[in-house]
Amino acid sequence: MGGESRYLGLAYVAPYVLGLILFTAFPFGASLYLSFTDYDLLTTPEWVGFANYERLLTRDRIFERSLSVTLLYVFMTVPLKLAFALFIAVVLNYRLRAINLFRTAFYVPSILGGSVAIAVLWRYIFADTGLVNMIIVALGGDAVNWFGDPGNALFTITLLRCWQFGSAMVIFLAALQTIDKSLYEAASIDGAGKWATFRFITLPLLTPVIFFNLIMQTVQAFQEFNGPFIITQGGPLRSTYLLPLYIYDKAFRSFDMGYASAIAWVLFLIIMALTLIAFWSSKKWVYYAGDRRQ
Amino acid sequence: MTLNLKPLALALSSTALCGVAQAEELRMSWWGGESRHVATQAALEACGERHGHTISPEFTGFDGHFERLATQIAGRTEPDIMQVNWPWLPIFSPGGDRFADLNELSDIIDLSNWTDAQLESGTMNGSLNGLPVSTTARLFVFNTAAWERAGLELPTTWDDLVAAGPVFRDQLGEDHFPFEASALDATLIVTLYGTQMTGRPLIDAQTNEILWSQEELAQAIEFYGTLVDNHVVPAWRDVAAAGNVPLEENQNWTQGRLGGTYQWDSTYFKISDPMADTEQLVYTGIISQDGQQTEGIYRKASMVFSISSRTEHPEAAAQILNCLLNEEPGVAALGSTRGVPASTAGREILMAAGAIEDIQIEAQNRVLEGEGPAIHPFMEHPDVRSAMIDALEQYAYGRIDASTAADEMLIGIEDVLAGI
Repeated sequence: MGGESRYLGLAYVAPYVLGLILFTAFPFGASLYLSFTDYDLLTTPEWVGFANYERLLTRDRIFERSLSVTLLYVFMTVPLKLAFALFIAVVLNYRLRAINLFRTAFYVPSILGGSVAIAVLWRYIFADTGLVNMIIVALGGDAVNWFGDPGNALFTITLLRCWQFGSAMVIFLAALQTIDKSLYEAASIDGAGKWATFRFITLPLLTPVIFFNLIMQTVQAFQEFNGPFIITQGGPLRSTYLLPLYIYDKAFRSFDMGYASAIAWVLFLIIMALTLIAFWSSKKWVYYAGDRRQ
Repeated sequence: MTLNLKPLALALSSTALCGVAQAEELRMSWWGGESRHVATQAALEACGERHGHTISPEFTGFDGHFERLATQIAGRTEPDIMQVNWPWLPIFSPGGDRFADLNELSDIIDLSNWTDAQLESGTMNGSLNGLPVSTTARLFVFNTAAWERAGLELPTTWDDLVAAGPVFRDQLGEDHFPFEASALDATLIVTLYGTQMTGRPLIDAQTNEILWSQEELAQAIEFYGTLVDNHVVPAWRDVAAAGNVPLEENQNWTQGRLGGTYQWDSTYFKISDPMADTEQLVYTGIISQDGQQTEGIYRKASMVFSISSRTEHPEAAAQILNCLLNEEPGVAALGSTRGVPASTAGREILMAAGAIEDIQIEAQNRVLEGEGPAIHPFMEHPDVRSAMIDALEQYAYGRIDASTAADEMLIGIEDVLAGI
């Protein structure tokens, strides 16, 4: 490659690299530094060493509560969302009439899902006199207190996240379409039913994509903010008070940016640890093309 | 030849009136409801036209405005002119240097329209950081139509209110209540009841000390429980079930199923505009209790207008601020969307134009005549509020008793006060 071409390539990637440095790498590094400081946003940060981490891990009951709520949320949301996305992807993989319309319709919630408007809509749908309760009552059931009961509120927020299954579904759908049809034909000749075909052909061949979606959805679930912030404000009784809400409150309401940065770094380490565990475990359940395992 | 000098003189005099500032691009931010947003944008246009500046409006609801302003100030991107909640002044500008010292702009802003006490309330560390827009207090406002439907006279004592709960339920139905209070409003009812009972504020405005004993606070918390148990206010759990919607968006309020509330008098239009035509609001005196030590009114400067200390156009910003608070075009356009003006000139302009409704004048008189101890600005510190709301919520859900809730509130408040 000539020198000119090399510079041209660098010029092409420069905007992205610059954005990465300015808007990701720099805040990333800055937050690490701030996590070791007492910083109220308005005055110069003061170095306090590990004091924020010590307070966080030994004396902060709200952090404990928020962390347990966050873990529960992630462990509910991710499997539910992946299972639902996979189910819909399998259905949409059939050659149905107007299939492209269905595929678009199922993807739409993912475009809208993260928006404030949808969170507000969710609040009205699940309100005590909202659409969901109207249906339940019309079917002869008792209205459910979705937001006021600490046992239900987190589940309601979880449903909002699961409703945004479109991006995971599209990835599953693309992967389903790459599976060699001759494998299904061979299975059919051997007398395999639909479930056996799915269990022993489709699912193993999808494991790399399931793994990818698992990582992505886990990371996203740990960062959930809009839903609980707008719908429940973290309540009732902090039952939907996810760690990103706590970080926000500490940073912008309590003006304790140093402490908020420490929480953010603990959250980062938790996500990192879970991701490493997922990678380690993937050797046992993810199958790639050419894999000779039994 | 006779020269007609009138147009020239007129042009020169209008230039002189405009002061020395050139045409500038400014920004102004505020929070409020729809009526305030519309009025303020009209006022900015009128004042911009008068002084030759262009002002970009930045407005939101109250929720999130504190955080937005905090981020802007920290990022040095705050607007030139800001509406600041009075209790936020010691948080944002403890040293008095975060906002411009308006004393230094007194050749543009006519400060004689405020009393010394009013100016003092906007002063931080000797620097006049904000001009009070109006004086406000939490007042009781009742829906007379709802009370008539229940066949009851409006209450004057807590006992009257407690007795009305079962009547509303029996006469009108399970979803009808004589009053409402949840979350922040519930903590303010607790604060009011305790202040009346003890004659002291929860936090001393001078010494930063907590003035209630744990037992007194627990008693005030228990009173909130009495209101819920007697069907006076909807249970916290039920308010949450509806999605914690603001009062003005709450259909139980707009349709007259809630008989009263305890709100800032400056929010009159916000809570009255969405109400059905059949409903009618009136302000009453502060509900009292037997043997009370004080009426306990919770009064403060409702908000102040401030200018950023970093603005590049302090004179232009001062012209606009003066126009909004003291000059006819700005004052008339703003009307009473921020309550009855604290500025003498502003009040006179609106009174002369008949732009203040009788009910607002009546409410303002109640605000000014009410009796109660001074409010500590940290009563509205986010962490103090959070400590109070969290503990009261746990009590409301039956997770802890009033005594434990009082303990938790006091610990949370002491933590914040220790940081002053």
